[in-house]
Amino acid sequence: MPNKEDIALMAHLMRRAGFGATYDELEILAERGYDATVEELLQPEVQEPVDRYDLLRYHPWSWKPGTIQGTGHATWLFDMVNTRAPLLEKMTVFWHGIFATGVSKVDHWDEIVDMVDMFRDKGLGSYKEMLIEVAKSPAMLYWLDNNENHAGAPNENWGRELLELFSMGVGNYTEKDVYECSRAFTGWTITPKLPRFPMGRFDWSFEYREEDHDGDEKSFLGNRGNFNGEDIIDIICRQPATARFMARHLYNFFVADEAQVPAWQTVPPRDPEAIQVLVDAFVANDYDMREVLRVLFNSDFFKEARFSRIKSPVEVVVNTLRFVGGHEFPAPGIGNLGRQTGYMGQEVLNPPSVEGWHTGREWINSGSLMRRINFVADLVGDVNLPGVQAILGRLRGAGEMPPDGFVDMCLEQMGPLDLDTQTRQELIDHAAPDGNLSWDTPTQADLSTQRVSEMLQLIVSLRDFQYA
Amino acid sequence: MLTTVVAGRTFDYSHAVGGLYMPMPVAVACGSGDKVYVVSRQYEQILDVPWNQTATFAQVNVFNITTTPGEEEHLVKISRYGDAEGQLIWPAGIALDSDDNVFVTDEWMNRVSVFTSAGEFVKCWGTPGAGHGEFNRPSGIAMDSDGTLLVSDSLNHRVQRLTVDGEFISAFGGYGSGEGKLDSPWGVTTDKDGFVYVADHKNHRAQKFTTDGEFVMSFGSFGDGKGQLTRPSDVVVDNDGDVYVCDWANDRVEVFTPQGRFLTSLRGDAQDLAKWHREQVEANADVEKARRRVYTLEPEWRFAMPTGLAFDESKSRIIITDTQRGRVQIYNKLHDYMEPQFNL
Repeated sequence: MPNKEDIALMAHLMRRAGFGATYDELEILAERGYDATVEELLQPEVQEPVDRYDLLRYHPWSWKPGTIQGTGHATWLFDMVNTRAPLLEKMTVFWHGIFATGVSKVDHWDEIVDMVDMFRDKGLGSYKEMLIEVAKSPAMLYWLDNNENHAGAPNENWGRELLELFSMGVGNYTEKDVYECSRAFTGWTITPKLPRFPMGRFDWSFEYREEDHDGDEKSFLGNRGNFNGEDIIDIICRQPATARFMARHLYNFFVADEAQVPAWQTVPPRDPEAIQVLVDAFVANDYDMREVLRVLFNSDFFKEARFSRIKSPVEVVVNTLRFVGGHEFPAPGIGNLGRQTGYMGQEVLNPPSVEGWHTGREWINSGSLMRRINFVADLVGDVNLPGVQAILGRLRGAGEMPPDGFVDMCLEQMGPLDLDTQTRQELIDHAAPDGNLSWDTPTQADLSTQRVSEMLQLIVSLRDFQYA
Repeated sequence: MLTTVVAGRTFDYSHAVGGLYMPMPVAVACGSGDKVYVVSRQYEQILDVPWNQTATFAQVNVFNITTTPGEEEHLVKISRYGDAEGQLIWPAGIALDSDDNVFVTDEWMNRVSVFTSAGEFVKCWGTPGAGHGEFNRPSGIAMDSDGTLLVSDSLNHRVQRLTVDGEFISAFGGYGSGEGKLDSPWGVTTDKDGFVYVADHKNHRAQKFTTDGEFVMSFGSFGDGKGQLTRPSDVVVDNDGDVYVCDWANDRVEVFTPQGRFLTSLRGDAQDLAKWHREQVEANADVEKARRRVYTLEPEWRFAMPTGLAFDESKSRIIITDTQRGRVQIYNKLHDYMEPQFNL
């Protein structure tokens, strides 16, 4: 039987490497063991993929939706709520935050969803292969104007961001490198597509136009040659700065809130030793993401970093939907549901810029905090949802309970969540006037159900609940 | 290939109709004269409002569609989005009786709504559940020659026979993949001899049953090769007994002989724009320019997730809802086709 620490550690792993877990799930996983669970998370191939045809059958508009907010989000939300490979899906979110493309410019949800599908396909593989796929992604080619990058007239947008935001970071290359990098990607473009009017969306696809490629010699990061795009990516992946840059991204996403990317040139990592461990793992494993994540999740610095990240809006929404259950079927209103992360400051498929989203405390402002709390409170307060029913069942099974026991059990079910003494006491003080929680008569059961619902809503309103 | 001649049959592409009054058509039925009834189920309009106010379009539209391209006319709109009686949330299937009264299934509301051909709401019936006459996502619907309705009760994995007032008569199927079992059935139809055909969606096949629900035979198997199916959505039978299965996820219609032998695939051949589509193109100079810059227009000829089928007996033509392209495409099955000189 797993002990409290086993459960707490497993809850930490599942919050970070997945989208949380119910207490029932945590007990099963903790029984299986931490190491075995990490290995299972790292092998998503054995899981049945999400059946997107189920979404398409009931929402045919989700195939290539028009540019209406929420319609593009619905597909990914359906994937995230239903996935049985949560780490792979979490990595898909990770890559989308780094290789950020948005519908604000691309104006085709389906092209960005295709890119997200590519992240899912390659998400645990080679970072180098991922970079090549990103460079060929029609959404990225259009987003960063590489379709305007011609031999003799280079457009530096993609070349610059490849170095600044997708691999090494500012300070590790020169303006000349940006120019030469851009020259190497001339001719990497998109086939023209049929217009969306009058018959809906058609696909873009990558096209390499030899006649528009600058085949002359380039000088890039100390190397000389008639480089094409793949050569540039190969050189980038040999740079120590690249491993360091990606390690810091991984640390910020999975371990603890870091300074934001623009500050990385001047603000040292929160935990330099942890970054070095990850850098070494990158280099030793030729940028294989699965191996790097294995090192990360088995490290002490990860296990000890509980509640040191503020949940992203995606985590708030998806964790909650999976926790309360009942949202697996794509009911009407899925578009509205998909839009909720946007109300909290993270409109997936539409990041604010090529830099993706700023994280940590920047997720929180007075508006987004209210949205976060209200969204979760509405759902955990719905006693008809299966996840809430399960909590009620456990409390009922425990029999009559004094206010402090009632509060502690709710905290256990919702996390487990460790509160400071004062906050816990405030919850107990709130529960105390109604006395013990009891279920003996229908009237008592009704009252207790209402009290549990209110207590869960109070808990998700706490500052502590905003942390993962 | 606009004309396919195979095994003594000729399937000849006729024309497309769409562009107006036909967003995301998912089901179709042929009425009296030139009338064609098309069920549309379009976007959720994403607003921060309750779920039952989120969509823009859930409707049946009635058209006159003759055999001549460009003669199509829009006649009537029936119903609108909503969960009140007479409204539709997830319309899925359509059947007509001999007076062109309209029966529409609603997969979300778990009911069948009945309208006159002029669009007046008559009644609705059906409740959620798994009991007799209850539904769990009713999708396909057909009426046999006796006036009995067949409803594909999708997530109860069965077909129910019901009176036009929704009274239960019998059911067959049941969840499974063996002969006669069903997994999330979608479209349903009957032939002139009273046999029942079901698009057995998640078993990737169509099945033929007797009127009493006894298994007769199966069409297709999982895949994307000739005669294979992936997530079929509908099935119809023509006057000769040939069977058309809407191969939804493979973007085509597979045609079989009555004995189940594969004949041909219809993939969409709309090389000429439908009248209302053409008007939209001609109204936008940039659209015209963009169309001239693509390597080929072929992607727009083809079906994109076609969903519903109807066979128009009076004109010997098959009508296919080309769901993602907002149109129907029409093929004639010719019986008087003269072969051209082969070595021209």
